Amino acid sequence: MRIVARRGLTVSLAGAPIQEVGADPVASHVGVMGADYPVMRTELLVEEGQSVEPGTALFRDRNRPRIVVTSPVFGEVEQISIGHRRRLSALTIALGEDSGGEPIRFPPGQAATPAGLRTFLLESGLWPALRTRPFERIPDPDGVADALFITAIDTAPHAPDPRIVLADRAEDFARGVEALTLLTEGPLFVCQDSGPALLEGLPERVSLVRFAGAHPAGLVGTHIARLRPVDGQGTVWHIGYQDVAALGRALASGKLDPVRTIAISGPGLRSARLVRAPLGVDLHGLLRSEITAGAKRIISGPILSGRESRYLARYHQQVTVLDRVEPRRRHWLLGALRQAAAPAPFIPTQALEQSFGPNLPLVPLLRALSIEDAQTCERLGCKALAEEDLALASYASGGSTDFGARLRAVLDRIEEPA
Amino acid sequence: MIRGLYHRDTVGWLIAAAVLPVLAATVVEQGVPALERMGLTLVVVLVWQAVFLWVRAQPASATALVTAIAVGVLAPGDFAVWQIVLAVSFGTVIGEQIFGGWGRNIINVGVATLAFLYFAFPETLHEGAGPLVAAACIPGALLLLATGILAPAVLLASAVGAGVVTLGLDQNPVELVVNGSLVFGLVFLVCDPVASAATRGGRWVFGLLAGGLIALFAFADAGSDVPHAVVFAALLASLFAPLIDAAVIALSSSLRRRRHG
Repeated sequence: MRIVARRGLTVSLAGAPIQEVGADPVASHVGVMGADYPVMRTELLVEEGQSVEPGTALFRDRNRPRIVVTSPVFGEVEQISIGHRRRLSALTIALGEDSGGEPIRFPPGQAATPAGLRTFLLESGLWPALRTRPFERIPDPDGVADALFITAIDTAPHAPDPRIVLADRAEDFARGVEALTLLTEGPLFVCQDSGPALLEGLPERVSLVRFAGAHPAGLVGTHIARLRPVDGQGTVWHIGYQDVAALGRALASGKLDPVRTIAISGPGLRSARLVRAPLGVDLHGLLRSEITAGAKRIISGPILSGRESRYLARYHQQVTVLDRVEPRRRHWLLGALRQAAAPAPFIPTQALEQSFGPNLPLVPLLRALSIEDAQTCERLGCKALAEEDLALASYASGGSTDFGARLRAVLDRIEEPA
Repeated sequence: MIRGLYHRDTVGWLIAAAVLPVLAATVVEQGVPALERMGLTLVVVLVWQAVFLWVRAQPASATALVTAIAVGVLAPGDFAVWQIVLAVSFGTVIGEQIFGGWGRNIINVGVATLAFLYFAFPETLHEGAGPLVAAACIPGALLLLATGILAPAVLLASAVGAGVVTLGLDQNPVELVVNGSLVFGLVFLVCDPVASAATRGGRWVFGLLAGGLIALFAFADAGSDVPHAVVFAALLASLFAPLIDAAVIALSSSLRRRRHG
């Protein structure tokens, strides 16, 4: 099946990456950020100074204790910082050498049944790679998905090309997709670009869907809206292509594969390219020898929906480096004339309409989000969306209101009573 | 993470730039009185914007220029200064500022101002603007279409609506194309992105309604001329825009529910 997204915007930004895996810079730390697990009430399973290896459980969800987050690397837990409401803020690990002992193995044999696969994913810490729509949360270990979306396309500015990333991992990817058919009784959609098929010999219930067009054609929110909308009822899960390939490799070797291929790009870099780095890599350390002179902003994720962060976020495949521009000081009266304290209203231009993939009424939705009217937002179908789906709309409306953050606040309010 | 495109100020300045050729054409067609009228309107709008900036921290916008030129093009009658001051004050305060400034209003300021002028002082006669103004609207319309501000659906649908109703009334559609008041009203008042319908389907319905009403008012009712027709059509269509949007949303969500269960 081929779907052409007629809407879309191209965001121009200097420093596009060469789509080749270049020399890997070396990092000394990795970090697990609490911000990647927003509703999780964490229960720590390690302490500072403890040695860990790939697959060591670092913490688990107090409410759903089968969901654990595991260490991606060998090393020593350096610092655990707890934020407000006793939630985990960050856990950092100093990279170390393989101690040479017996490595942690997750027997792939058990993953041949639906229940066994769930146990495999949960114990190895790969389960959090899955997320649900509505609400964009980590699914329940016993949850049921009506469909599963595997996103093997990335149209964000400067994103790595999945075709290059998967070039030498075709077998792992295919194995991962085949295993995931055990997770759901419903259909599986592998969404890719309009080039040659990424997957030969499709397993049962798996269909390959090609999406063509500019960003947001590659966002899973766009795919779900076209193929299996969830605004009324039902739940779909989705997972990114690199996590599927990592699952495939783990199923072959029994060991956790923490390495991801990420794009480092942006105007503040010497050579923008693809590099391999572990999950949660320390970006300051990784990019120290790569950036040009001057103050920089290091953004984990695409420029539209990423966030300034020291460590690579769990679901991001790219890092964008911008020059840091300090706001100029101006006279208070001139400042007041230029900009009010309240965010400026957005003007519903045609370009704004172009910035949104799903076939939902965007302008009424943004107006409802501007005043955080949860009831209207729900009626307009906001439950099927996530922050990233509105990132381009925030950009195309001048950026004075972060509609993604508003959406998250509204979703939290809708979710709370349940 | 980056300052986006199409900030409210950017859009405001682009619309103001698009309307500048019309300013020149109006001065050429109508002479100095038009310039005085437009200058007075601009000053009054800016004063009210400053008042609301001071009192309620509402940022000003460059669309004051559109209001000024709308009064210049569509109210060429003989008005006293106090009449224009009163009408523009009503238009900008009740039409826009009390809702929170440009971007939160439901009707265009120019439309509110002109409707007030026409209703309050009906004895003043108006003549429509000529083909020069109509031609001067074209570069602005192209600029706004190319920069992605104007919705092509509204422009196209309103032209179609006006043409169909004109033919239905056995009139000559060429009269519409050479009429400066009508072309100006279509591009800058009916297609105002803030006051028009905001859903994809709604934009077509809105455009057809506005265009059809313009032709209906201009030709069917002998008592009203083209400036009246344009302003009242734009006013009615803007007031219907929320209803059109609500209907389109209800219809599309029920269709989606039927298709996907």
